[in-house]
Amino acid sequence: MDFGILADPVFFVQNVVDGLSRGALYSVFAMGFTLIFGVLDILNLAHAATFMWGAFAGWLVMAKASMPLPVGLAAAMLAGAAIALALELIAFRPLRRAGARAGADKLSPMISSIGASLVMVSVAEAVFGVETKRFPDRVLDPKPFLIGGIGGVRISRAQILILAASVILVAVLGFFIRRTRIGKAIRAVAASPRASLLLGIDVNSIIAITFLVGGALAGAAGILVALLTNDIAPGMGGQIELRGLAVVILGGMGNIEGAVLGGFLLGLVETFTIAYLPGGSDVKDAIAFLVIFLILLAKPDGILGKGKAERG
Amino acid sequence: MPAKRLSLGLAAIAITGIAAAGTPATALPSSIKIGMVETLTGDNSAYGISIRKGVELAAQEINASSLLGGSRISLVVADDKADKQEGISVFGKLIDDEKVAAIVGPTLSGTAFAADPIAQKAGVPVLGTSTTAVGITAMGDYIFRDSLPQAAVIPGTLAAVVAKYKPRKAALLFQADQEYSKSEAEVFKASLAKLGIQLVGAESYGRGDSDFRTQLRKLWSRKPDILVLCSLVGEAIPALQQAREIGIAVPIVGGNGFNSPNILLNAPEASEGLIVGSSWFIDSDVPESRAFVEAFRKRYGGDPDQFASQGYSGLYILANAIKRAGSADRGAIRDALAGIRDLGTTLGPFSFDANRDPICRSVPLTVKGGKYVLFR
Repeated sequence: MDFGILADPVFFVQNVVDGLSRGALYSVFAMGFTLIFGVLDILNLAHAATFMWGAFAGWLVMAKASMPLPVGLAAAMLAGAAIALALELIAFRPLRRAGARAGADKLSPMISSIGASLVMVSVAEAVFGVETKRFPDRVLDPKPFLIGGIGGVRISRAQILILAASVILVAVLGFFIRRTRIGKAIRAVAASPRASLLLGIDVNSIIAITFLVGGALAGAAGILVALLTNDIAPGMGGQIELRGLAVVILGGMGNIEGAVLGGFLLGLVETFTIAYLPGGSDVKDAIAFLVIFLILLAKPDGILGKGKAERG
Repeated sequence: MPAKRLSLGLAAIAITGIAAAGTPATALPSSIKIGMVETLTGDNSAYGISIRKGVELAAQEINASSLLGGSRISLVVADDKADKQEGISVFGKLIDDEKVAAIVGPTLSGTAFAADPIAQKAGVPVLGTSTTAVGITAMGDYIFRDSLPQAAVIPGTLAAVVAKYKPRKAALLFQADQEYSKSEAEVFKASLAKLGIQLVGAESYGRGDSDFRTQLRKLWSRKPDILVLCSLVGEAIPALQQAREIGIAVPIVGGNGFNSPNILLNAPEASEGLIVGSSWFIDSDVPESRAFVEAFRKRYGGDPDQFASQGYSGLYILANAIKRAGSADRGAIRDALAGIRDLGTTLGPFSFDANRDPICRSVPLTVKGGKYVLFR
């Protein structure tokens, strides 16, 4: 332990801020991931590729067309939604139809999503090239806000944006799922597609809407990560995918609030491991996944995991 | 008059380099295949793409000249994608299928550690033009490089930093799972210790990381007088930007990875004042270098960097060795390479030492107005 910095309250608060903003990214990514899982019971492994396309869409709009940030965010979410919808129509729906005839197989849609992901990354490589893209300095003023003067806690504009966006997205998504007709229909389909069909719910439309929402969240996460790290490349989804999956499981598969909590927890654990353990940056992933493992030992269904029947 | 300067440069190379060789060039085959293995895609392709431009320019010039008599160099380019497995595979293809006489590359030290032993075993000379890690040429007597090893650059760079800023404490950030970066961090540590500068913190990150704020804050909390970064271009840009963003206001010293104008282009504000050590800089008054810069601008419409310069010189060194050997035989080329002494190149008079490492000068540079200039 490093006692010198352990006693420094500014350093501690700084790490809370950094951990939360890092966690907010995982949360936004995992929300869409877990939403689609909750409804369809399949892992959409093209979520990370959707995330990457969202980042590129935002980058195109902001860096190339010089549009302001809200337009970039909207473009990223629209691109994510459109791509996810296309995924559903091309990669998932045909399999569901075939599966309904032949007896459902949970693995074939996952394989299909892996294929889709590879195609999406290859297309991005062909369109944008493999070199990392950056935002010009004017896009996001790198000068941070200082709390408590020089030597105080620093929050960058990107961090504020990410924290605000994640809180707003959680609130909006929560409201949408719990209070709106469509949200209720999504939960009904999640609980039982067959029963929903009997109740007169257009299951295919509801699944399509779920993909739209999940894709928009992936796109939002993409542009937010791009803004925080200033690093946009076709392979950028690979880093967040495994962590996002861990967060989804940690929170309880299909549980949106759980994914948000899990995201923040992972962000904080990673940040504090780097900050306070000697050589912490070497072992941050090992420690983070050890913590996840220990939590899952205590709560095998995840932090907020319930039985499958109650999910949604 | 670009053409005139160019021919002057070539003449200088010809006179200093090969005048003594005297072997009739007629013994050479009409076409000599040289393999080039570089990282041409991915995050760190900035180096490979730059080297390729330098090597291809040199090939064009050599083939237009009478350096190899009537013989022409035919480049076989392969992309190692910064991947060791890919590096091993393309080395195999170049050696067995293409039957190349020698290989230029690979771009990254990590790939070299994986792939060079294959060439060594097959008896194919390899000339690295960007590998700087400790131990590259120790892999065997067929392995050469014209890129200065870290131990030949870093002490001089740090000495220049000491002369100007008199730092007492230093902090270091490096990539724990990357051979080049790890090796460079060790060399920096040793050099700092020798200069009596205390290392108050060393933090690392992993492949694919792009948020280094926490590591940098931890280092900054120890109040270093200088910050040392050992990163490849993909991580160098965010590392620089984030260091400045979190308020690190002390001089930043970069490793060899920071010798890419790509960094200055992408982090114009954060890279200002950055200090690096290099074998070459654009305003170098070495005549071969001036001719090279002019020819490069003419062909590509932009400025070359250290990596293009080392790639360009690399192929000239190889061509001169082939001329001296008077044969495209791999073993004969190896022996001739080992005998290269005081060859005029863009890097100044160039020799290989007994360990097949380069002997050429190293200059401390700093970034001013988006350009590498001499650090004083």
